[in-house]
Amino acid sequence: MVQFNLPDNSKLTDGDYYKLESENKRIKKFKIYRWSPEDDKNPRMDTYEVDIDDCGPMVLDAVMKIKNEVDTSLTFRRSCREGICGSCAMNIDGTNTLACTKAISDVKGDIKIYPLPHMPVIKDLVTNLKNLYKQLKSIKPWLIKQKQEATDTENIQSRNDREKLDGLYECILCACCSTSCPSYWWNSDKYLGPAVLLQSYRWLQDSRDEERKERLKELDDTFKVYRCHTIMNCTQACPKGLNPAKAIAGIKQMIAQQ
Amino acid sequence: MESAKNAWKIHRLTTILLIPLIIYLFVRIIHFSGEPYQLILEELRSLWSILFILIFTVLGLVHMRVGVNEILEDYIHDESAKKVINFLISSFFIFILIFVCLSMWLILIF
Repeated sequence: MVQFNLPDNSKLTDGDYYKLESENKRIKKFKIYRWSPEDDKNPRMDTYEVDIDDCGPMVLDAVMKIKNEVDTSLTFRRSCREGICGSCAMNIDGTNTLACTKAISDVKGDIKIYPLPHMPVIKDLVTNLKNLYKQLKSIKPWLIKQKQEATDTENIQSRNDREKLDGLYECILCACCSTSCPSYWWNSDKYLGPAVLLQSYRWLQDSRDEERKERLKELDDTFKVYRCHTIMNCTQACPKGLNPAKAIAGIKQMIAQQ
Repeated sequence: MESAKNAWKIHRLTTILLIPLIIYLFVRIIHFSGEPYQLILEELRSLWSILFILIFTVLGLVHMRVGVNEILEDYIHDESAKKVINFLISSFFIFILIFVCLSMWLILIF
């Protein structure tokens, strides 16, 4: 059966409060999920006060300021800080998004930050995405040609065929969509999830790929695709404005037409 | 690996077929309101009414069966529990079908 309640050792407790000594009235409270595998303690919510006049405009700026100036033990992923790498995906104000593209001013009141939902936590805001990468590998996200051609020639594609990849190739695999999907929460071991299925559809739509039939055959399974019930959380969550739900509907249509 | 293509197709097809049937059912119910009991019985005894009720029941039950199966796949991960629940649900739907057929037969003979 699906587990609906958190086990006792996962229940959140109140954590430390880091007060800021400042005359400035524009202070924002950041409540951040903290958990370390190094002790047996339950996860906690630490509260940090940040002077937003002395901080960059994005949530990632504030989180980095906290790490640099207040609490160096705070752990999170980040790299490009401009919405390209997908490293800083986390749950901010109840929505999965990229901390680097989420403005502090977009959140009213205190800002609550959690790791991506329903994923094993490695530490604080860092989740284990091993399963997602394994699933990505299973759909063979690369161009497959039946016969080996000379590598010095281009794979020509018409303008119309190239346009079919728009809205698909932009995915940065941040996992915001997959981890916002209830079907993925319940069946992440077998259901591929929106991120991987969007990637799969990207290769199914590629006019240069010659493995379409095989790819569709692999996807025609009770769990891999059909756990999607068009809940649309994925589309709502995608920080790049993509539409994984539409891609999944496209895959279902392609399988049905086969 | 179990193909889910046909279940998906059946679910969509029955959805599309049930839309006009449900609208027609509501129209009929509104049309019958205030009519004498005997007249309603006469209407129900017509070949069209019997066919409509049977088609509606079968399509509705098939649609429900596929839908319930989706919920089972989602939430019940234990294979033996899934088999038992599947059997119980199928039996329940067969019971409903028999009940509808018996009701039709009773309307016809009385």
